[in-house]
Amino acid sequence: MAPVTGTSLGSPPPDGGWGWAVLLAAFISIGFSYALPKSLTIYFKDIREYFSVSYSEIAWMSSIMLAAMYAGGPVSSILVNRYGSRPVVMVGGLMVGIAMTTASFSRSIMHLYLCVGVIGGFGLAFNLQPSLAIIGKYFLIKRPMANGLAMAGSPVFLSALAPLNQFLSDHFGWRGSFLILGALLLNCCVAGALMRPIRAKKKPSTTSSAISEGATPEKGSGDSPPSSSLRGEHIEPQKRACADEMSSFIDLSVFKHRGFLIYLVGNVFMFFGFFAPVVFLAPYAKHRGTDEYPAALLLSIFALADMFARPGTGLIANTKWIRPRIQYLFSFAVASNGVCHLLCPLSTGYAGLVVYAVFFGVAFGMVCSLMFEVLNDLVGARRFSSAVGLVTIIECGPILLGPPISGTLVDMFMDYKYMYYACGFMMLLPGIFLFIMNYFNYQRLDQEEKLRQSQAEAEPKQGQAEAEPRQTKAEAEDMGAVDMGVIKRSVAEDVEGESEMSQEV
Amino acid sequence: MSSTLIHSLWFLLVLFSRGIDTTETPPPLVPDDPPALLEKSVVLKGDSHVENVELLEPIKVKLDCTWTGNKTKLPNITGYWKKDGIEIDNTQVRVQLENERYNLKKVFSINKDNLGDYSCVFVGSQDGAKIDFHLAAPKMSDMRDKPVVSYVGDSVVIDCKSKKPPVYWLWYKVNGTEKELIDTGANSSRHRMHVNAEGYHSKLTVLLVNESDAGIYSCSAVFHIGASEGHVELRVITFIEPLKPFLAILVEVVVLVFLILLCEKRNSRKQNHSGNENQSAQTSKLAQGENGMEESSTIRQRKM
Repeated sequence: MAPVTGTSLGSPPPDGGWGWAVLLAAFISIGFSYALPKSLTIYFKDIREYFSVSYSEIAWMSSIMLAAMYAGGPVSSILVNRYGSRPVVMVGGLMVGIAMTTASFSRSIMHLYLCVGVIGGFGLAFNLQPSLAIIGKYFLIKRPMANGLAMAGSPVFLSALAPLNQFLSDHFGWRGSFLILGALLLNCCVAGALMRPIRAKKKPSTTSSAISEGATPEKGSGDSPPSSSLRGEHIEPQKRACADEMSSFIDLSVFKHRGFLIYLVGNVFMFFGFFAPVVFLAPYAKHRGTDEYPAALLLSIFALADMFARPGTGLIANTKWIRPRIQYLFSFAVASNGVCHLLCPLSTGYAGLVVYAVFFGVAFGMVCSLMFEVLNDLVGARRFSSAVGLVTIIECGPILLGPPISGTLVDMFMDYKYMYYACGFMMLLPGIFLFIMNYFNYQRLDQEEKLRQSQAEAEPKQGQAEAEPRQTKAEAEDMGAVDMGVIKRSVAEDVEGESEMSQEV
Repeated sequence: MSSTLIHSLWFLLVLFSRGIDTTETPPPLVPDDPPALLEKSVVLKGDSHVENVELLEPIKVKLDCTWTGNKTKLPNITGYWKKDGIEIDNTQVRVQLENERYNLKKVFSINKDNLGDYSCVFVGSQDGAKIDFHLAAPKMSDMRDKPVVSYVGDSVVIDCKSKKPPVYWLWYKVNGTEKELIDTGANSSRHRMHVNAEGYHSKLTVLLVNESDAGIYSCSAVFHIGASEGHVELRVITFIEPLKPFLAILVEVVVLVFLILLCEKRNSRKQNHSGNENQSAQTSKLAQGENGMEESSTIRQRKM
């Protein structure tokens, strides 16, 4: 049996076993995070009447919640880097639960903004980032599928929360419903309890091990070079302490990462046109003459297509043809969204809108399912939690500005088609950009890989470099050529990251 | 004298000439003149149509029906008018076919006593056509069909919105078949309620709700022509009601978290226990063995 390999996670991702329980936990966390802000719109009418406020004032509640959820990303990443996913998710679940429960006693709209918006949003941020991070720790080979399945939590929970919220609203009014939702959201703590940290192998009971166990086990051995398996017991306490200090903050070295920058630029532009078409789907349908119920049905069709597209895409992305070049699939998904929107105004009648809803749902699901998988693929599992925090706070702007800007476009031209053209371009151009830039990136990565391999084989290092490719090869025999490339690349990422860190130390 | 006559004639001419171009002419209400004229005309292609006409004050309404006819276009058919389904006497006329259409017009003087459904009926050889004009005060818009739920001790706002601003608003509480006017004046039993009426909206605020406040509330928008009503049901519950599911879910969460963490503690204690029995080298091997067992099972999975 091959000994524990040198991925800096301390042990290889199990790709199964307890991983499925963790996947369920991530499914629940991600589901609540994305679905809750959207499903609260059902209470808007009641709250508006109660506090006598306008629609835009109450809509701020959802916007603040979304903004806090995305802005809390870096904070969440720092905490995950330091304490691991489990405590952060449990604290997040507690925060949201307490926030909603307190909100049910609120006396003014400001209380709602504060409780539901700020505290609730941060609580959801503490759910979202750790869930994404822990998938990368438990899955490597099956990671695209795991990501797709976990992200499917969003449409599933939305479809469940929407009628539930309606039921609660009818029976308990908005105050009682918020109280019950608070209790329901405490289930995120259950999800957190399931997120068992990956135990690195037992360290000897020295001060160094005490520190290592205090810091995240997932990150513990990440501070030492990959061959910790061989040098296991001989970690110098001093280096460990310094490295711990570094790891307790967020890993900003991702900003030097080529792939990360490509991803960031592409995504920031994409998000301007991402959510607006969802928001305007029903109003556009009504504008084209459909009645209220068929227009709402369009949203359900969209959600259904989304629900099946996410795990489906994960499955496709996991195949040996797609996995090595997964960035192309992501750029294709983004571009196909753009094409969908550009063609939407050309559709005729209700049937045309249904076709558009189906294609849009599939394309939307593809992007959502791959969104974090490609980031993981680019920066590697170790830096992923920092990367995802930074990405979400930067994406916060376009996500919040997108629908209002589209709304002004609609108001300016009194026609929806210009908005669709704008959104279509805002998605088609990043798609093409990502495709081209990733082509170059893959070329460079292949070159670097060849260089590294030739270096490793040339220099006869003690156990270090030789053991590495041998270990990876031994595992790779079980997994097949493609996975070897993936593992090699993930190992390379971690080596690169650590060499940067050791330089800083 | 002659100048006023000329003035009135000129005014009426202007009214009628404006009326010919458009389908609807609501001229402003001038106190000295007779009730102004509202024209409503409908062209029917099928065999029936319903038209809603909103009236704000007593007015003369000219209803203009045009029918494109059926396949057999007789040169002469009969037409008459109905009110609320009953034929109005002395309204039967012969209708000529002009430009392939049949036309029927009548002016009705409408006030609050004779609001209702007015229909023009064409009687052809085999079939006919009917256009219903529903003359009424403007209805409420966005009336909620679900009850408003409120809590004992809390305050509640019941909102009514009308399509056109009425002259004033009235609120009633419906007890069975009786309607009790809500007096928001000095009456002490009702000082908890106040009405805030601003044109299109009227809001009834009830402070310190108690269980006897539950029931159906009726808001009435009063126009010159009559009133239009909307109903809202108020349900009052105590905080105990949502508290029950809340506590149930809370217990479930605590139990689950406890169970999961307990199982994990027990598993890791087994690991520790078996680890402490052996030496350090074997310890790491066993610990790796645990991982390894997972690994081998996962490798088996991978092979599959």
